[in-house]
Amino acid sequence: MTFAVDVRNLVKVYDNSRVLDGVDLQIDNGKVFALLGPNGAGKTTLMRILTTQIETTSGEAYIFGLNVAHKGSEVRRLISYVPQEMSVWTDISGYENLLIYSKIYGIASQERRDAIEKALQSMELGNVQNNLVKTYSGGMIRRLEIACAMLIRPKILFLDEPTIGLDPSARRIVWERLTSFKKEQGMTVFFNTHYMDEADHYSDEIAIINRGKIVKRGTASELKHSIGGELVELTLHDKTVKEDIMTAIRKLDFVSDVVADDGQLTIFARDAETALPQVIDIVKVHGGSIEKTSFTKPTLDDVFLSYAGTRLESEGRISDVTQVRKMIRRGG
Amino acid sequence: MANSLSNMLVMVELELRRLKHDRTEIYTRIVQPILWLVIYGPIMSSVRGIPTGGIPYTDYITPGILVQSTTFTSILYGLTMVWESESGILKKLLVAPVPRYATVIGRSMAGGVRATFQALIIFPVALIIGVKFVHNIAYVIAALPIVFFVSGGFAATSIIVASFMKTRERFMGIGSAITFPLFFASSALYPIQMMPPILREFALFNPMSYAVDVIRALIITGDLTSLPIDIAAITLFDTIMFVAASLSFKRIIK
Repeated sequence: MTFAVDVRNLVKVYDNSRVLDGVDLQIDNGKVFALLGPNGAGKTTLMRILTTQIETTSGEAYIFGLNVAHKGSEVRRLISYVPQEMSVWTDISGYENLLIYSKIYGIASQERRDAIEKALQSMELGNVQNNLVKTYSGGMIRRLEIACAMLIRPKILFLDEPTIGLDPSARRIVWERLTSFKKEQGMTVFFNTHYMDEADHYSDEIAIINRGKIVKRGTASELKHSIGGELVELTLHDKTVKEDIMTAIRKLDFVSDVVADDGQLTIFARDAETALPQVIDIVKVHGGSIEKTSFTKPTLDDVFLSYAGTRLESEGRISDVTQVRKMIRRGG
Repeated sequence: MANSLSNMLVMVELELRRLKHDRTEIYTRIVQPILWLVIYGPIMSSVRGIPTGGIPYTDYITPGILVQSTTFTSILYGLTMVWESESGILKKLLVAPVPRYATVIGRSMAGGVRATFQALIIFPVALIIGVKFVHNIAYVIAALPIVFFVSGGFAATSIIVASFMKTRERFMGIGSAITFPLFFASSALYPIQMMPPILREFALFNPMSYAVDVIRALIITGDLTSLPIDIAAITLFDTIMFVAASLSFKRIIK
């Protein structure tokens, strides 16, 4: 089977700096794929190469088997793309933007009205469709941009930082709409993000990119497991923990170790969420009584820290982008 | 090919829709040509130092002011392109399944549309101050597509400039730096024969000279003898600019 995206030893050099330093990446058709990394890691550069905007220095990239360097116009027929920056005209209405883009995409005139209507509905923009885009909120602009990308039925939808600069509720709405669109269309989604929670919640697969290299890939839980087990902590009412409780817990196949210390049980499990209820059962069966439970999970940030040696958080940058978007919206 | 053509028309449609919502720019840009026609024209005509071939001086410069004003509008169209490259619009257009040259020529034509609207406002102003147009209305109407194509060529020029000057600040200075030399080295304000020899040579390669010449023939003198060569020059200019703009388009978003 052909991969939706197939990248082999891709290198991109800008002004003597290797922005992409030998990227290898294969993505199956129909997956939601997140490329997670800090700013400057090369996410946008990789996406712009895959969407035929810029050339590679060396290495190859294929979209459904088509080389992006030689088959650009064929690739462009298969993809839809929402850039990180604003990509709609603010001095015309939302409906007019969709109309212009539907014509650019060559949608037949008899299907145009339906396609626009559907895109407006699924992005919940019907009631503001005739307002000028400059009156929209950041979240509405984003949804309009996604609506434009939805006009055609792409085989791959590329989203570059789809929710950057949006407030949490606007981010959630954008993702809800995107998820239901994806469910309906079954296309491949490739998105760049530096929000761990988005990669965690909305992707089937994640690759972590740092300094132009893919440092790790897998599902969110695989990545978290890969840096070691999760921790379940139980505080018992009686200070001494019976040895048969320990033995019984140790026998669970997803538990790697149990430590008891002054009435506190610490269990190293591969999957804390599955382990917790079973552990509680065992303690109860053996007559123990639990005062409180807690478990800590490694987050994707911990994963990132372990593979990239730096944290992802970057508040300053996010507010910068918000300001840029605002400035662009004002057209000033 | 049909696909490319319809894409060009979409770009023109986009411009018409933008104009429908906001025409402030067109109105504010009218001030300068009015000053030329209302103040400069009458004052210079009282000097009577410029051989206009018997045409009142204000009438003589009307085509020149028209072309200068529409050229300026279309040269500044590149500002829109700079804005669109700062935002993500051009990136998105590059990724659309449309030949890139169609997008570029379409955008140039869109600049031409904006400039033609500018011209439409100058005509009534000229009428009010007493400029005598040719009596054949067909000639005056024929001048409009010429304004459109000349302006489209200059809008393409502005796309090329935008691909080099990627910020608004840099671009702003370029607008007048291009328009005014072309304006003064054309027959807009005085016949080419009055110019120093070097400037006369330059005027030969100045697209604005041909534009002014053909517009003057159509709306003022009605003498069409140089029409074929003017139109050939404008077609050549447009072709070169469209090709060069298409080639430079990718650079804009780098």
